[in-house]
Amino acid sequence: MAAELTMTLEVFRYHPETDAGPRFQAFEVPYDEDWVVLDAINWIKDHVDGSLTHRWSCRMGVCGSCGMMVNGEPKLTCAAFLKDYFPRPIKVEPLVNFPVERDLVVSMDGFMEKLQAVKPYIIRDDVDDTSGGEYLQSPAELARYKQYSMCINCMLCYAACPVAGHEDEFLGPAALALGHRYNKDSRDRGQAERLDVMLVGEAIWGCTFVGECTVVCPKHVDPAGAIQQAKAVGAQEFFKRFVMPKGTGA
Amino acid sequence: MSGRYHRPHRWAWFLERPGYGRFMARELTGFFVAAYLVVLVVALGRLGDGEAAFAEWLAAVSGPGWTIAHVVALVAAVWHSVTWFAAVPQAMPLHLGERKLPAPLAAVVMGYGPWLTVTAAIVWWVMR
Repeated sequence: MAAELTMTLEVFRYHPETDAGPRFQAFEVPYDEDWVVLDAINWIKDHVDGSLTHRWSCRMGVCGSCGMMVNGEPKLTCAAFLKDYFPRPIKVEPLVNFPVERDLVVSMDGFMEKLQAVKPYIIRDDVDDTSGGEYLQSPAELARYKQYSMCINCMLCYAACPVAGHEDEFLGPAALALGHRYNKDSRDRGQAERLDVMLVGEAIWGCTFVGECTVVCPKHVDPAGAIQQAKAVGAQEFFKRFVMPKGTGA
Repeated sequence: MSGRYHRPHRWAWFLERPGYGRFMARELTGFFVAAYLVVLVVALGRLGDGEAAFAEWLAAVSGPGWTIAHVVALVAAVWHSVTWFAAVPQAMPLHLGERKLPAPLAAVVMGYGPWLTVTAAIVWWVMR
């Protein structure tokens, strides 16, 4: 019987109770060409070290929970196959540009605050009135925002964005893309409320269009494009507000 | 207990991904484009001073150093233009009904097409 093939996973470890700083720990895992990096991490947790901490759920690129740095690249580990790296070692780290809670788990607090700030939901003042039936929308109107609605909040785009890592005021790719998604929705009436948040300081203007958020996005959302479009809307709104400040209208 | 771990800021962040390097190259080419605009403004100023002044300026910028500077500025301007034309369809997507125009076609419609049209018009105006 042939010896079982293995490969090495170098895993970022950090336990706040005992560690002053992070360290890497090497694990030898079975190599199976059908396995993804998440399978290998789960195998380590089940068979070698139960204290290894990571997030995951669906295993099919939908929940957005298992985003990590795989050899320095932000990836959904459920979609990163071992065979694409074998026989070289794989280095697994928590997503960069986020504080690390423990091992491979990052804090999502800052992201959640930014996401909520852009009000990623349809805003109308007539939601209690259903007498008119559904809010109708044509396929062409749907096409204007559908791409941006595919975001799964995996935060890979934040890990790929150099601005997100250096500028706290910047709302970041996913939050801005979702804000733009609702601004482009023909059923929505909340653009002014969102722009009040998006146009402040570096919230959107911090983006320098590096474009790597779009490169790493596993759902092809194109946050970089959404942000540039939102900037154009914001620039128009800025001049409108300059000419006609709030409160001076009828 | 030391709480959450914050990675240190990376000053050499632009070396971490090829895409960051391409971004920096695009931004740096802007410097050469801006510098060449200054050269053109000076040229216009000398042209306004008369034929002799312009001829003197032309002689001053015809050495090998200036030739190299012109080539560098041309390469930088072309790189800057091409990378921006590639980015235009992201910033200004064109829709035909439910369909989004493919990015290469949108780049031609909004970038290369107008660029070549204006260039051809200028060449025609100068050569007529």
